[in-house]
Amino acid sequence: MSGFLYGVALQWKLDLRSKTMLITCYAVPLMFFAVMGGIFTSVMPDSRETLIQSMSVFTVTLGALIGLPPSLVEIYRSDVKNAYQANGVPLSLGLFLTNISAFVHLLIMSFILYVIAPVAFDAKIPAHPGTYFVGLITLIAVSLSVASIIGLAVKNTANTSMLSILLFLPSTMLSGIMFPSNMLPKVFVIAGKLFPATWGYAFMTESNFTWHNLLPLFVVLIIAVLLCGLLLKRVETR
Amino acid sequence: MTDALQVRGLRKSYGKKEVLKGIDLCIRKGVIFALLGVNGAGKTTALECIEGLRKYDSGSIAINGRMGIQLQSASLPVHIKGIEAVHLFEKWNKVSVNTSMLTALGVDNLANKQYQEMSTGQKRRLHLALALISDPDIVFLDEPTAGLDIEGRISLHEYIRTLKAQGKTILLASHDMAEVENLCDNIAILKDGRIAFAGTVSELTRAVGKHYNICIKTSQGMEKFEVDNIGESLISILKGYHEKEIEIQDIQVNRGSLEQHFVKIARGE
Repeated sequence: MSGFLYGVALQWKLDLRSKTMLITCYAVPLMFFAVMGGIFTSVMPDSRETLIQSMSVFTVTLGALIGLPPSLVEIYRSDVKNAYQANGVPLSLGLFLTNISAFVHLLIMSFILYVIAPVAFDAKIPAHPGTYFVGLITLIAVSLSVASIIGLAVKNTANTSMLSILLFLPSTMLSGIMFPSNMLPKVFVIAGKLFPATWGYAFMTESNFTWHNLLPLFVVLIIAVLLCGLLLKRVETR
Repeated sequence: MTDALQVRGLRKSYGKKEVLKGIDLCIRKGVIFALLGVNGAGKTTALECIEGLRKYDSGSIAINGRMGIQLQSASLPVHIKGIEAVHLFEKWNKVSVNTSMLTALGVDNLANKQYQEMSTGQKRRLHLALALISDPDIVFLDEPTAGLDIEGRISLHEYIRTLKAQGKTILLASHDMAEVENLCDNIAILKDGRIAFAGTVSELTRAVGKHYNICIKTSQGMEKFEVDNIGESLISILKGYHEKEIEIQDIQVNRGSLEQHFVKIARGE
């Protein structure tokens, strides 16, 4: 256990030293929040009601999809994997450590937004904080699991970036965080339902806790975890 | 079992290509053993199968003791510091690191240096230290001195001899014949997926034949001869100089380098 805990703490430090993680988990979400928060609340005053949720979804989607895959590629598509295997460290450790560390980073950043949004833009605290945090935690887990698939399946960082952006852009554009999804053409509304961000945002903005928007997230999570297991096995086999 | 390692009938294919065609190896405890072979001979595959990093098709591998593995192609996360890597593998393997080993390898100086800031030699030393963290009985070293400067090579050779003195068995893969000749007690040469030779360096020399290099320095310059029968050949050569009344200043006779013998075996000459 002490090896695992040391690994978690070490990965946390490595992420702080890595510019990619700092930029994707903290710098870009904060800049986006500063600029778009001002624009949203000026153009659409009603957006104050859901500003915390929309900024959280943006942060989680960006941090997970853009931030995590390069860390996994660094471990599994390089000679780092050899060093782990040669020294008796199970390859799954890298996946666990990077996910746990990214999870904590994203949770912290979301909490920062939760605290400063009301002060900075008079954003409204979610009416049901419990629902918000359950949705947030679930969305982080789902987004990281999807990002893990990219990180384990793709062989280099150039391709992970391309794939991550291909998932990230529609996730933010179609999930309803930029503008209400009922303003979108029906085909885009349907397409939006392919992305976890849509379900996560819908759940976090619900007035009552219902399983309707949470179940799809769990389904994606289970499928993604199973796929990660298969991909990990493929990476392990020489 | 008094042997450190026993390999019997090891076979491995990649698709239809059979890379290892039934390898037998036996390595005694406490020796430095070199596995040699030209590129594509199956050396890395054999090592990886023995190390447990690669699945093999058939055969058996028995290892007597704990293994420490230093791979030629190993890396660490770019931002990890030397001491953090040591602690990670130390804690994961539930062992206490021998600080004198870290000092002897100069890894204590890398404690606060990030992996990306280390030179090739420093990285090699760190990986060797990581391989030795669990105080292994048998140490696998794949091209341990590749990329090291002369000073680094000498200090690493000294450390490998120290490991041998501690009773550890070392299995070395190297392209550096001088290194192998200098360090190793036993060698095996892999050729086309089979062991073409196994024994000591002097046994290899005997196996290849009574091949001698004679170098004679005279007042007229240097002449080199390659002969098989040293006695008759040397007498005949010296007689020739005597008849021509050429003054001989120096004579050197050697049995050829390991490299020459290796090339003969590897080429099937």
